[in-house]
Amino acid sequence: MADDGFMVIAVAIDEAVDEVRVLADGITYPVLMDPNHILTETYAISNVPAVVWIDEQGRIARPNANEFGSDMFSEFTGRTCQGHFDQIRAWVHDDVVPDDADSEIADLDEDEIAARLHFRLAAHLRRAGNEEGAVRHFDAAAELAPLDFTVVRAAMPLRGESPFGEEFFKLLEEYQAAGSPFHGITPA
Amino acid sequence: MTTITILGDEVATATGEWADGRPLIEPDALSAAVGWTLKPEGLCRGDQCVLVGDGSAIRVGDKLDLAAVANAVDQPTVIDPDASVVVLGQPNATRQAALRDRQAPDFTLADLDGAERSLSDYAGKKRLLVAFSSW
Repeated sequence: MADDGFMVIAVAIDEAVDEVRVLADGITYPVLMDPNHILTETYAISNVPAVVWIDEQGRIARPNANEFGSDMFSEFTGRTCQGHFDQIRAWVHDDVVPDDADSEIADLDEDEIAARLHFRLAAHLRRAGNEEGAVRHFDAAAELAPLDFTVVRAAMPLRGESPFGEEFFKLLEEYQAAGSPFHGITPA
Repeated sequence: MTTITILGDEVATATGEWADGRPLIEPDALSAAVGWTLKPEGLCRGDQCVLVGDGSAIRVGDKLDLAAVANAVDQPTVIDPDASVVVLGQPNATRQAALRDRQAPDFTLADLDGAERSLSDYAGKKRLLVAFSSW
């Protein structure tokens, strides 16, 4: 659909450029790095993947939604990507948006905002070699937004933990027990 | 005097001091540090100005309190006097315009080759913004 005035812009909420490079192998659209999680603040993103439809005039045609670009996690999520692809095609060709496009997305609360800033500070201190300061601010961030994946899970590799290990499954369990709070549309 | 690091859109530094946990800098250093300039009409950036009255809320002696400046322009902060860092968050109005008025916030980030790209570089197209990660 690239010739139809449509494009994908991928943003990695991540500082591991080598690992992102592997994921982006063969991709021809722009892949940008957001190591400071600016988009989690300006777009109120609390987990990935999150997709936002943006029209020709820079207006949000469909806000944050948890959609996948492949069926790699279908067994886990119970969803396939085909539905989303069909919806995008209808939007690109016929300007038709799905019923959930006017969903309201809850704003971040003060704790969720502060958690993002603590995360940014922790990541900065870690890069500067201040491990003790980094841990202190990763902890502060996790305390303020304990179920936010961009805060808690994103910190795991930066704290020497596996983002696919025990800590992740503990987070997932707590997240699901809390009703899977996500700033965006979670398609059925 | 010490160096205060400001983590905003970019990493900036300013010469200043910490007084009772407050980050204070010279008024002349404000613009480079946070992107806002103190003028007679208020704190200004581009064609936007925020009134600050007589300025007493942001001034401490002949210096400016960075945290109070951020508060005046509705940008959140986290400060760490021990590390001498001020984290300056994005304007709350930017996110609120996205959520309420559906204005997609512009951003400029480096691609995998280090070239800076902005959402607005691709205005005129329908864009699918995909936030993803390796974690």
